[in-house]
Amino acid sequence: MRFCKTIWVVVLLLVTGIAWVAADNAYFRPRPVKFTVPAGWPQPVYDFKSNPLTQEGIALGRELFYDGRLSKDGNFSCGSCHQQFGAFDTYDHNLSHGFDNSFTTRNAPGLFNLAWQKEFMWDGGINHLDLQPLAPLTAPNEMAETLENVMAKLKADKKYRAMFKAAFGDETINTQRMNKAISQFVLTLVSSNSKYDKVKRGEASFILPEQLGYDIFKKKCNSCHTEPLFTDFSYRNTGLKADPYLNDVGRMKITGNPADSLKFRVPSLRNVARTFPYGHDGRFFSLSSVFEHYRNGMTVMHNTDSLLQHKLALSNFEIGQLTAFLYTLTDSSFLTNPRFAPPGSENIGKAPVDIHL
Amino acid sequence: MNRFAKYIAFTGCLALLLSFTGKHPQEPHVVTLRFHSVIGNHSLELGRSYVNALGDTIAVQRFKYYVSNIIITDAVGKDVYLFPRRYYLVDAEDSASQSIQLKIPALPLKQVRFTLGVDSIRNVSGVQTGALDPLHGMFWTWNSGYIMAKLEGVSSSAHVPGQRFTYHVGGFKAADNTARVITLDLPPGTAPVDEINIAADINAWFKGGFLLKIGEHPICHSPGGLAVQIADNYKGMFSISSVR
Ligand code: HEC
Ligand code: HEC
Repeated sequence: MRFCKTIWVVVLLLVTGIAWVAADNAYFRPRPVKFTVPAGWPQPVYDFKSNPLTQEGIALGRELFYDGRLSKDGNFSCGSCHQQFGAFDTYDHNLSHGFDNSFTTRNAPGLFNLAWQKEFMWDGGINHLDLQPLAPLTAPNEMAETLENVMAKLKADKKYRAMFKAAFGDETINTQRMNKAISQFVLTLVSSNSKYDKVKRGEASFILPEQLGYDIFKKKCNSCHTEPLFTDFSYRNTGLKADPYLNDVGRMKITGNPADSLKFRVPSLRNVARTFPYGHDGRFFSLSSVFEHYRNGMTVMHNTDSLLQHKLALSNFEIGQLTAFLYTLTDSSFLTNPRFAPPGSENIGKAPVDIHL
Repeated sequence: MNRFAKYIAFTGCLALLLSFTGKHPQEPHVVTLRFHSVIGNHSLELGRSYVNALGDTIAVQRFKYYVSNIIITDAVGKDVYLFPRRYYLVDAEDSASQSIQLKIPALPLKQVRFTLGVDSIRNVSGVQTGALDPLHGMFWTWNSGYIMAKLEGVSSSAHVPGQRFTYHVGGFKAADNTARVITLDLPPGTAPVDEINIAADINAWFKGGFLLKIGEHPICHSPGGLAVQIADNYKGMFSISSVR
């Protein structure tokens, strides 16, 4: 009988042990976050199955995005070049500042709606969102760090070890996990609540100049800056001569094909009122200078887009209406969403400024 | 006492069951592929000067390449052992990286086949781990894709800063593909194989269907025509030096 008791005690211990282990795991399981596709939008291209969004993953990504220690001298976080009030571009900068007084060679684009994007950078050189951080982290004119050093810094940090564990189940820290976490955060940067979107949802209506601008837009711009993302993600030559100091050949750098010379990806025009200066090298300081380029300044080349072979006829009146329409693409709730701001700044968010009055 | 007997029987059954589900007791046989670098008839020492097949004096500082998707055929020509989705980075600087252990029964073997490089699917699937971790410096960040093989060093023929020649050969898209399938036949024999020694001859990079003159092409850093020509050359760099 004594033996019987021992067996029971052992079984009991085992059951409690298993329950304890199971409970522990449940406690550490990251909490899933649903990615919502705005009504009327296409399905995203990012493969969420290989990197499911979780609260812990997003929180870790946000921490990394705003951490200057990922750069060589501690000064350049992703967020130093991708600023929320500029729709995550470098506000009011044609080129961005990087390590050791250097500049980037292109204008930092705004970051939003990245789940719908297949290729990244102005020339489409990066073929997966998870790969994107590798470029700025290691570029000598951006964060200038080695991946080994970045890993060493993260592994030495107790807080990161805890955050990686919370997001991925254990404390393993590697480039794959770091980049997946950053992807999770930037994937949540969805901008779909501008006045334009509200009009589309029937929650607001355009005033006359905006409506007229929208009509002109659909005729003259929509074939490249296609709704609802305001880009068709194609690469086009819009008659911009290369800057002699940058000598940027654009898409041809990736394909090696001369037909792709000076082609750049069509940028989204969402939040365009906030993303000045414009163009792949930030050469246009205002919307009116972009319009001036389309109607006069263009250098038509053999591979300039067929839609622009005769430049774009735009009257002053049309430019006025188009500008009114483009201002309706500003999503002030996106620009001020405290969840996208540096961690810890949730409570210092001011009331959203509505800038499309 | 009756109950006691039952417990004994129960534990016995449990133990038996566990022994069935447990691992096969017999240790599987391992075949080792061992890579070593040579230049012509010399075995390669990093940093030391040699004259290459085209007469250029070179000192190699870095020599790395990916080996993946290994396929081994036995001598009867019947059984084929596949090792898909396994990637190894062979690095002349790191002797541990030069031997690859494969679980294959003790058999006479006929052929070794592998891909030098990384298949296209891994080039478009985000960040990978292990040998494919971008941390190893074998990944282009600005034009996504793996560097399949890397050869760097100094040569008086390289008229560039530091007289450094740097060949980073990559590209996975159709016409630019630099991954190459290598097929090597083992010398015929009936003895079971434990170890296959494979020589990688750097001379093949320079002298193949294409003549890679360092004076003309000291640098290859992007996918395209030159990379493909070098890849066609390095396809011929391997040979089986001995089998045990
Ligand atoms: C020094 C400034 C700088 C830093 C730091 C920086 N970026 Fe960028 N980022 C840029 C510039 C400039 C571009 C455009 C480059 C190009 O097209 O060649 C860009 C492009 C991107 C893009 C592609 C957007 C698109 O529409 O194709 C993403 C995504 C991105 N950055 C995310 C990040 C992340 C994540 C980090 C931190 C790991 C980061 N960036 C750090 C300047 C920076
Ligand atoms: C043939 C395709 C095409 C058409 C048509 C077109 N665009 Fe563009 N647009 C582009 C491309 C490509 C760029 C990026 C050019 C570059 O920097 O190399 C661009 C850039 C812009 C920019 C700068 C955005 C930024 O963030 O840098 C604005 C603003 C703009 N276009 C507005 C318009 C408007 C308004 C129309 C209609 C009147 C229009 N575009 C018609 C292809 C087009």
